[in-house]
Amino acid sequence: MNQNQEKPMEGHEYDGIQEFDNPLPGWWLLTFFGTIIFSFLYYLHYEVASGPNQEEQLKKSLAAIESLKKGGPALDDEKLLALFQSSSPDKGKSIYAAKCAACHGAQGEGLIGPNLTDTHFIHGGSPLAMYNVISNGVLDKGMPPWKDQLSFDDSVAVTAFVYKLKGTFAANGRPPQGTPEKTQ
Amino acid sequence: MQQEIRYDDRIVRQFLIAMVLWAGVAFLVGIWVALQLANWKFNFDLEWFTFGRLRPLHTNAAIFAFAGNAIFAGIYYSTQRLLKTRMASDFLSQFHFWGWQLIIVAAALTLPLGITQSKEYAELEWPIDIAITIVWVVFGVNLFWTIARRREKHLYVAIWFYIATVITVALLHVVNSIEIPVGLFKSYPIWAGIQDALVQWWYGHNAVAFFLTTPFLGLMYYFMPKAAQRPVYSYRLSIVHFWALVFIYIWSGPHHLLNSAMPDWAQTLGMIFSLMLWAPSWGGMINGLLTLRGAWDKLRTDPVIKFLVGSVTFYGMSTFEGPILSIKSVNALAHFNDWIIAHVHGGALGWNGFLSFGMLYYLLPRLWNTQLYSKKLAEYHFWFGLLGILIYYISMWSAGITQGLMWMAINDQGQLIYPDFVETVNRIIPLYWVRVIGGTLYMIGFLIMVYNMIKTIQNRGTLEDEKAMVPTFVSLEPSPQESTHRRLEGLGTAFSVLVFIAVFVGSVISIYPVLNIHRYVPVTVSVEPYSPLELLGRDIYIKEGCYVCHSQMVRHLDFDVIRFGNPSKVEESMYDRPFQWGSKRTGPDLARVGKKYPDLWHYRHMINPRDIVTDSLMPSYPWLAEKKAEYDQLPKRLRVMKSLGVPYSEETVEKATEIARKDAQAIAQSLRDQGVTDDNLAEKEIIPLIAYLQALGHKVKGNPNVSLSK
Repeated sequence: MNQNQEKPMEGHEYDGIQEFDNPLPGWWLLTFFGTIIFSFLYYLHYEVASGPNQEEQLKKSLAAIESLKKGGPALDDEKLLALFQSSSPDKGKSIYAAKCAACHGAQGEGLIGPNLTDTHFIHGGSPLAMYNVISNGVLDKGMPPWKDQLSFDDSVAVTAFVYKLKGTFAANGRPPQGTPEKTQ
Repeated sequence: MQQEIRYDDRIVRQFLIAMVLWAGVAFLVGIWVALQLANWKFNFDLEWFTFGRLRPLHTNAAIFAFAGNAIFAGIYYSTQRLLKTRMASDFLSQFHFWGWQLIIVAAALTLPLGITQSKEYAELEWPIDIAITIVWVVFGVNLFWTIARRREKHLYVAIWFYIATVITVALLHVVNSIEIPVGLFKSYPIWAGIQDALVQWWYGHNAVAFFLTTPFLGLMYYFMPKAAQRPVYSYRLSIVHFWALVFIYIWSGPHHLLNSAMPDWAQTLGMIFSLMLWAPSWGGMINGLLTLRGAWDKLRTDPVIKFLVGSVTFYGMSTFEGPILSIKSVNALAHFNDWIIAHVHGGALGWNGFLSFGMLYYLLPRLWNTQLYSKKLAEYHFWFGLLGILIYYISMWSAGITQGLMWMAINDQGQLIYPDFVETVNRIIPLYWVRVIGGTLYMIGFLIMVYNMIKTIQNRGTLEDEKAMVPTFVSLEPSPQESTHRRLEGLGTAFSVLVFIAVFVGSVISIYPVLNIHRYVPVTVSVEPYSPLELLGRDIYIKEGCYVCHSQMVRHLDFDVIRFGNPSKVEESMYDRPFQWGSKRTGPDLARVGKKYPDLWHYRHMINPRDIVTDSLMPSYPWLAEKKAEYDQLPKRLRVMKSLGVPYSEETVEKATEIARKDAQAIAQSLRDQGVTDDNLAEKEIIPLIAYLQALGHKVKGNPNVSLSK
């Protein structure tokens, strides 16, 4: 491609602009045809032949993620109380401040969600009942489930913190909701 | 026989000055919205200036006001010279100029007022849409009339690109803007759900193709060889890449909708046509850069060449990145975050911006009959601009990829590592500040140019239209020695018809199948239309530009499903006019937000998001609790929806206002019971908006795969 030998095309002059007629670069043609062939095969595989569609691919990858989930240990009130002892109170407090305080108030006095510092409970005040509400939420009441957002240890830590709020009767609390807890 | 004519240079000067004025507005608003993302306080708690309303102003100003006026300046300058004739009608030229500026002013007034259709780069309401159509047709008539009166038998490649621009933009604008008015400043599109999504992104993507690419390629084909004083590298490359580009571009729109509820085949078409676009795009880059062979020394000395080379280089980068981003798995990482923002700014600031500036430096001395005031300052402009773009590009790449990876991260227990959406936003705030620096540098370069321009114009000579000697008559008859394409270049009408066919084929094949939306909805499914109150809330959602930051599209991707719930289905948006799938997640997806939080949560969150989410960067919307909702408009709106096929009963349409008020009272009462003090709460905009948000994800019955939770 010695440009001294190149001659502009005859009759191609527009406002002084001339044109060469160099051949299309080989690598450029290769790229062009390469993408066309790839595209053709890609379409055939996914839309005509048996390539998986996005529904199937999603199902597969969700199943793989599901298999990673270890069911937590079987829990009851006693086991949870024991776990409360070993969990970090600071962790519980900071998770509460980050995730719960917006609705239940900084002191647990209740705001959008119910008061956590009285002794009335809508879904029960036992450690297990609290753990279940925190994990699974109460969808029709607007309590979101936290089990996908919190690890098992974090769930226990925040449950321990909320459990300790019971009966602290924060000032300016929302009026009690639900039923009074039976004294044991 | 030769005769002396004069080109209309006044119109070019007008468009050039308009370009510079609007560029200033576009850049300034750009920096402002960048600041709003870095710190929410830059929303100033004023309804006209929230990010949701200003971001469309920024994009429209950049595309239609800055780039638009640049295109017109370049087209009017080069077309006359390439066709050896003055524009056919000075009146039409002036009509075009003033009409276009009025449209821009109308956009700048209506968008901050919340008058919007919410379709990206097509936000302007129906009266302005009509004005755009008229002005565009005037431009087209003027251009084709000029082509008919040409004294140059063959059309040069730049003109091919102008023809493709005029025809395709008209087609895109008209089809995407088919809407039924429900008032002077409000309309509903006839397209719904996936139709609207497909038509909108067919438009949106090809606005990039035929407003920001083909006309600029035409300008490049004129100004590059003129400035370099070298012949164009390859005529046959021009032919091949022109037709390939025009034919292939139009199919690529669905790459904006990958992994969504869009049927698989449409997504795949969008992806593969984007891949095939790589080489045709690079054909333009090659022809631009290789034209400089033998003139590379000018890169050091001539600021025009510097800007043009910078521009074409960014074009090459963007058109390489684009196909990569269209690959489904890459898109899974990049979509909804700042990687896309980086991509478009590489194109807009680099390709469109630098080409416009290069053109301006070329035209300034010629149009004002003088010397450029300072080459040195033009050099400074180049380096400030380049540094600005690089800082912008790199910061947004990093932000996008960081956030994308955080969204995807799943630990060995199958849980999201960053389940808190706001954490993934706050992680990249420092990069948002870096972006502000990049944008500011670019702006400084621009201001240097403005100064240089003013000084140059102060030194102007006498302004008169340039004279040229042209043949009195040129036969346009085809001659037998011509090759087929050469013959076509002499046949303006045939050429234009072929261009139309090239863009029409892909349009029909990709859009036609979704015109019957029911084909994609299972028969067992029933979808309840929005209640009147919810519809009213939806219109407020659109007005406030919520879609600018919140998507309503849970993609078919595991990490999306774990975070937001089951993937979105076609039927969920089948009555959505316009669709609200969104294109960017600065906040979380809202497709399944309904009933996730209590009404009081939303009430407090709207008035001050930081009361609920401490680190939120969402603007506050206190006026929603003060302004009255337009309840009395409801029967009219429902009537239009019903006429478009939404199954409202006649009774619901007639009593829409009462029904909505009754529902609103119930929500307002429950909020008052929980301590909100406002006796007239039910009349306020915030109530319908809450009703709408609470309905999201709860309108479909009979499909077990669509429910609130997984």
